[in-house]
Amino acid sequence: MDVLATRAVTRRYGATLAVDAVSTCFESGRLHAVIGENGAGKSTLLKLACGLVAPDAGSVAIDGQPLSPHTPRAAIARGIGMVQQHFALVEAMTVLENVMLGAEPLRGGLLDEAEARRRLAEVTRELGVTLDPAARVRELGIGDRQRLEIARVVYKGARVVVLDEPTAVLVPREADALYEMLARLVAAGRTVIVVTHKLDEVVAHAQTVRVMRHGQLVLSRDVDHDDAERELRALAAAVMGEDAPAQPAAPPRACGTVVLDLDDVRLGRALRGLTLKVHAGEIVGVAGVEGNGQRELTRLIAGLEHADSGRVDVAAASVVHEDRHQEGLVLDAPVADNLVLGEHAALSRFGVLDASALRATAHARLTLGAVEPGDPSLLARGLSGGNQQKVVVARALARTGDRAKLLVAAHPTRGVDIGAARLIHERIRAAASRGVGVLVISSDLHELRALSDRIAVMVRGRIAQQVDPGATNERLGELMLGEEGAA
Amino acid sequence: MKREHEAEALSVVTGLAAGWLAFAVIVWLHGESPREMAGLLVGGTWGTAYGAGQVIFKATPILFCGIAVHIGLRAGLFNIGAEGQMTIASLVIAAVGASLGASTPALLAVPLMLGCAAIAGALWAAVPALLRAKLGAHEVISTIMTNRIADALVGVALGLGLAEKGTVRSADIAKGARLPRLEAFLPSLRGSAANTSVFVALVVLLLATVLWPRSRAGREQWLVGLNPVACAAEKISVPRRLAEALIVSGAVAGLASAATVMGYKGYYEGGLGAGAGFTGLAVALLGRGRTSGLILAALLFGTLDQGGLALNAHIPRESMQVVQAVVIVAVALGDARVRAFMARMPRPAAAAKAQP
Ligand SMILES: Nc1ncnc2c1ncn2[C@@H]1O[C@H](COP(=O)(O)OP(=O)(O)OP(=O)(O)O)[C@@H](O)[C@H]1O
Ligand SMILES: [Mg+2]
Repeated sequence: MDVLATRAVTRRYGATLAVDAVSTCFESGRLHAVIGENGAGKSTLLKLACGLVAPDAGSVAIDGQPLSPHTPRAAIARGIGMVQQHFALVEAMTVLENVMLGAEPLRGGLLDEAEARRRLAEVTRELGVTLDPAARVRELGIGDRQRLEIARVVYKGARVVVLDEPTAVLVPREADALYEMLARLVAAGRTVIVVTHKLDEVVAHAQTVRVMRHGQLVLSRDVDHDDAERELRALAAAVMGEDAPAQPAAPPRACGTVVLDLDDVRLGRALRGLTLKVHAGEIVGVAGVEGNGQRELTRLIAGLEHADSGRVDVAAASVVHEDRHQEGLVLDAPVADNLVLGEHAALSRFGVLDASALRATAHARLTLGAVEPGDPSLLARGLSGGNQQKVVVARALARTGDRAKLLVAAHPTRGVDIGAARLIHERIRAAASRGVGVLVISSDLHELRALSDRIAVMVRGRIAQQVDPGATNERLGELMLGEEGAA
Repeated sequence: MKREHEAEALSVVTGLAAGWLAFAVIVWLHGESPREMAGLLVGGTWGTAYGAGQVIFKATPILFCGIAVHIGLRAGLFNIGAEGQMTIASLVIAAVGASLGASTPALLAVPLMLGCAAIAGALWAAVPALLRAKLGAHEVISTIMTNRIADALVGVALGLGLAEKGTVRSADIAKGARLPRLEAFLPSLRGSAANTSVFVALVVLLLATVLWPRSRAGREQWLVGLNPVACAAEKISVPRRLAEALIVSGAVAGLASAATVMGYKGYYEGGLGAGAGFTGLAVALLGRGRTSGLILAALLFGTLDQGGLALNAHIPRESMQVVQAVVIVAVALGDARVRAFMARMPRPAAAAKAQP
C-alpha cells in the first residue's frame, strides 16, 4: 500500500526548476533512500511531501487522499513528519519541553506533563533509545539531538518519518545505531524516507532507492542486495550521470616549515593539553567522535577563542568551520558577499566597493568550486545544503597560497555529493602540493584516509595518538573511543 | 524570497490597518463619524497647499531620525538614542549659530552648521558606541540613558547662559545660518513652516539608501548585522563596525536639528523637535530600508501630526498621538527584527523556571 505519493509535483525558485513534475509513491513499512547530486532537488521534494513547501503544480497524496491544506500541520496530523537537514530544537529547553512544543497534551487547559512524559517513554521504547526528559538540549551531543528530533516526530504521530541527510553529522558507529533505530521503526510498521550522499548506507540499509538529477526522478527501484559492489557502482553512475570524474592518485609531498604549532593548549573544558603540529605541504587528519573539542580547535585557530594556557603558533589561516550556518555563512546576504567575506577592503577603492571586481572574484570562485546555480547574486539561503557547503569551502580554498599558509577544514565535504566531494579533495591536495599545511577534521574515516599523510586521533580535548592513514577502521574506532592510548 | 516580501508587506498593512482601527474607535468614542473626521483630516493636510506644506514641515525631522535609525538597524542595532543625539546637536548649533557674525555668508554658515550638527550627534552617539564596543553594553539600554542625560543637559545649558536673559530660549542664530522657508520660492505655501532642510534630508536619504550600501563600511555593517559570528570568523572587526554604525546613525540624527533650529525657529528652546527621535524608530521599521518606504512613512507620521491639529476642534490632539502610538506598536510587533530582539531578551517566567 502506498502511504505517501507525489503526483507530478513541481516547484520553482526563480529561474531554478528545483523539482520538475515528480511522481512517485512510497510504499508503507519500508526504508526508502533518496540520493542525487547537490541541488538535485531532494530536500525540496521531501519538503513538498511534508507540506513544508507548497507546490507550483501537482499534488501530494497521503493514503490516496490529497493533502489539503498544504501545510506541515496538516501533514503531521495525517502522519507525515520530517527531520530537517538543519535541526530545529530550542537550546534552552529540556528534552520533554521540546517534544511537547506544538503538541502539548492539555488537561483542563493546563499542560499535562505527566502524560507527555509517559508518551515520550513509549516512543523511546519503540525507538530503543534512552533520552533523559529533563536534560537541556544545549547539553546534548549531536547524536542525542538527532534521536530527540526523531522522537519528537514520532511523538506527534508520524507514520512516515522523513530524514534529510541524517548521517551527514554522524561518525560511522553512530550512523549504524541510527539505522538500527530506523529499522525498529520500520519493523513497527512505520515508513522511513532517508536522503543521503553515502551510497554504502543505501546498499546496506535501504529497501528502495530513488535517484534525482536536475529536479527530475531519473531512477526508482528496489535496492539490489546481492552484489553490493556492483550496486554501489551502479548507484554512483546513476547519481553522477555521464560525467563521472576519475579519482586521481595522491601525489607525494615533502614537509616544510611548521605552520601550526600547538603545545599543551588548554581551553575551558574542551581542550585539555592538546599538542599538534602541522608542516607546510602536509595534510593532517583529525579523527574523533564529535564533541571531543574539534569545534573549539577550529575556533581557536580562527581566532574566535583564546587559549587559557599553552602555546599557540598559527600562520595566517583559512578556516572551514564545522557549522556552516553559524560561523560559515551570512545566509541572508548574496552568495557573492559570502565568497569574499572579510575581503571587502581589498575589493574597494577609497572606501567604495568595486562592484564589478567583487562580482568577478565571486564568479571565479563559484566556477572553481562548481557551485550550482552559478549566480553570485542569489541569497546564500536559497542554495541547497551541499552548495552552501561548496561556497564555504571555495572561499577558504581561494585564500590559501599567498594569504593563508594553513587551511583548516572541518568536515569539508559534509552534505556534498560524491562528484563534488572528489573535486574538493582534489583541490585540498592541490593546495597542499603548493605548500599549504592542511588540517582536516572529519567524522568520515574514508575521507580522512583518502586525504591525510597522518591521522591524529582526538579524544576528550587531547591528541591521543597519531597513526598512519593505513590504520584499520577497527583500530581507529578503538582509539577514538579512548579505549587505548588515552593515558 | 517572494514569500518574505509578502510577509513584509503584510506587517506593513497590519500596522496601517491597526492605525485606522484605532482612529475609527477614538473618533467614535468622541461621538463623531470616522468617515467625516477622516475627510477633515485629509482636507486639513493634503487638501490645501498650506496643509501639505505643514505635513512636509512636520515630516522633515522625522525623516532625518528615520534614516538615522535605519542606519543602525542595518547593522542589527536599535538606536533608541536619536532623540538625545538630535537634542545635543540642537544645543550645539544653537550656540554656534548665535556666535557667528551677523554678516557671515550662508555659503559658509550653512555647511558649518550642518557639520557641527552631524559631529555633535556623532559624538553623543559615540558614548553608547564605545560602551558597546569595549564593554558589550547593549545599545538599547545605553541610548535610553544618554537620552535622559541629554534632557538634563538642556536645562543645564539653558541655565548656564545659552538662554537669553529672562527667557527659556537661546539667542537667534546668525541670519546666514538659517535655512530659508519654501514659501520664499512657492508663494502658495504662505504661512507654512516647511523649509529647505527637507532637501538636505532627501540628499541624506539618498546617501543612506543608495551610496552607503555600496561603501565598504556600509556593506560590512550590514553583513555584521546579519551574522556577526560568521563575520568575526572571517576577521571582520565586529565591535568596530557596530560602533561605527551607531556613530554614523548619531550623525544623521544630529542633522535633524537642521530642520528645527536652522529651518524652523532660528533658535533653540526646550522641547523643540521632541518626539521626532522616537517617531523615527517607527519610520525606519515601517519604511523597510527602502528610499520610497522611508519617505512615505515619514509623510504618514507628518500627516497624523498635522491632522491632529486639523481635528483639534472635534477631537483633542492627544487622541491622534494615540493613533500614532498604535501604528508604532503594531508595526514594531509585526517586524521580524523586533521580534527576534524580544525573543533574545530573558523572560522572567522562563528564567525563574530555569532555576533547579
Ligand atoms: N529557498 C530557496 N530559495 C531559492 N532557491 C532554492 C531554495 N531552496 C532550494 N532552492 C534551489 O532548488 C534547487 C534544489 O535544492 P534542494 O535543496 O532540493 O537540493 P538537494 O538535492 O537537497 O541538494 P543537497 O544535496 O545539496 O542538499 C537548488 O538549485 C537550490 O538552489
Ligand atoms: Mg538537501
